[in-house]
Amino acid sequence: MAGHSSTEQDPGLTLTTQQPVAQQRIVDLLQAAWAVFVKDLRIELRTRYAINAMVLFAACTAMMVSIGTTFIGLRRTEEALLIQASLLWIALLFAAISGLSRGFVHEEETRTLAALRLAAPAIAVYLGKFLLNLALLALLGLITSLLFIVLVRVQVGSPLAFLGMLAAGGLSLATSTTILAAIITRASFKNALFAVLAFPLLVPPLIIAIQGTAATLADGGGVVALPALQFLIAYSVAMFVASLLLFRFVWEA
Amino acid sequence: MVQQMAQVGKLLIGLWMAGVTIVMFLVIPQYEGLGNAGRIIIMHVPTAWVSVLAFAISAIFSGLYLWKRNPTYDDYAVAAAEGGFLFTALATVTGMIFSQVVWGIYWNWDPRQTSIFVLLLIYAALFALRSAIDDVQRRRQLSAVYSLFAFVTVPFLIFVAPRIADSTLHPNCVFIQGSTCDGITLDVGKIGLLGDRKIQLIALEREGDLVTAEVIVSEPGLSSETTLRPSFNLATGTMADRPEFPGVRYQLGLEYVDPSITSGLLNIEAPGTGVLDNRITLFTFLASIAGFTALFFWMLNLRANLLGLQWALAQRDGGRV
Repeated sequence: MAGHSSTEQDPGLTLTTQQPVAQQRIVDLLQAAWAVFVKDLRIELRTRYAINAMVLFAACTAMMVSIGTTFIGLRRTEEALLIQASLLWIALLFAAISGLSRGFVHEEETRTLAALRLAAPAIAVYLGKFLLNLALLALLGLITSLLFIVLVRVQVGSPLAFLGMLAAGGLSLATSTTILAAIITRASFKNALFAVLAFPLLVPPLIIAIQGTAATLADGGGVVALPALQFLIAYSVAMFVASLLLFRFVWEA
Repeated sequence: MVQQMAQVGKLLIGLWMAGVTIVMFLVIPQYEGLGNAGRIIIMHVPTAWVSVLAFAISAIFSGLYLWKRNPTYDDYAVAAAEGGFLFTALATVTGMIFSQVVWGIYWNWDPRQTSIFVLLLIYAALFALRSAIDDVQRRRQLSAVYSLFAFVTVPFLIFVAPRIADSTLHPNCVFIQGSTCDGITLDVGKIGLLGDRKIQLIALEREGDLVTAEVIVSEPGLSSETTLRPSFNLATGTMADRPEFPGVRYQLGLEYVDPSITSGLLNIEAPGTGVLDNRITLFTFLASIAGFTALFFWMLNLRANLLGLQWALAQRDGGRV
């Protein structure tokens, strides 16, 4: 509407006013996305469904690994670091799969999808849910790695690179799974299907994330992990852009 | 007229494939060191190519469906995925057989094995998704989205992962014509990488015209070490003894020794090296690729028409009720 009123005025003014209109639209979209995110966060904090499932899963895994391995007293060989990195990412992957579909499935279960469709544009819904998943994964990553450091005696050689790896891995998890959560809301066997759909897309980033994380566990491994970090970020960008383009079709289906 | 052409086409594809099979087993020569097992690549590489082609075609028709909303496009996308799944399974199985016979292990998480495994998983996930959604319209639309979304990962699998991963059984230098494995020149006492193995040249000893190298080869992951002794004939300038790497059927060759006998060029020799140098083999290989591609398109068309017919019948029955 704002666009129309500006074009009806003096034609000389249109050039100068059109840019603010486009900017205004983006700001509106981001505000809507933020509103969706805050609403979901509030619901999540009220029910704590996803957080509980994810953190408990991660804690159980860390406990099991701790019970199984602390007696061995692993030496810090290259293999030991790879094993520790694999176990960490296994815990993260399955914890994430148990909770990340919550954002959309919840809307279907409480029958609020139609209302959400009326209230916000598709992209804003996607961005809101994506932010929620990102926040959940950040929390999950921090808690899980703390548990591994304490219980499994993982020693982090280059903490900054390790955090970067965790963030990049979490980013690729969130970008590849958010749109899948929207796809499965209308299907039967939702949770099993979510894992089935997500796994093939997560194989490439997880291989890289495990190798990269193993490198950051070693002392001074930050530089070695750089290509892995680049790969994960490129993967996330590709998946994010594809999600933005495709989400419209999922949302209107 | 069109039907007759289709009949003729069908017959031609059948004859063509029969010809390829006969040539594959009876005409082309055995490869040195591989025996009859080497013939399987005439089937393996084309099926692998078709499985990737099918995936691309499925994604293209999925995109067309989302754009035009014509159910026929969805039929083609499904048909391509189904054909692709079949060919992916064939490529995996033939590859595993070849790998076992030639290199001594069925499965190694080689980058190419990883990517074909992911491809199988994606197809399986696509079928699982389709069977889990009841509403036809929604099923078509959502599976088209998943197909396209999964296709985004392909460039990462094909181009990036093999470059990052450092372990492969699939040396391009072995099978792609015109390319060679470069090998590595080492001074005595120095350490180098050959494929995914660390090697160290301990000594070069001369006995008459024969120079024997003592090389310590470490397994990937440095779990164990073995000493191999390849040799080089100075008089003829050719490799003499080529010992095999432990556990696989690659050989370690000493390709060259400098006149002062202080350094040597070490290289991997796979039993299939130069497979496509033979002209008959190369043409059979190309004919096989063409035949399999034609076969796939014929299957695609047939299956898509069948799906369209099924849909039309279901609609007519539904209309009557």
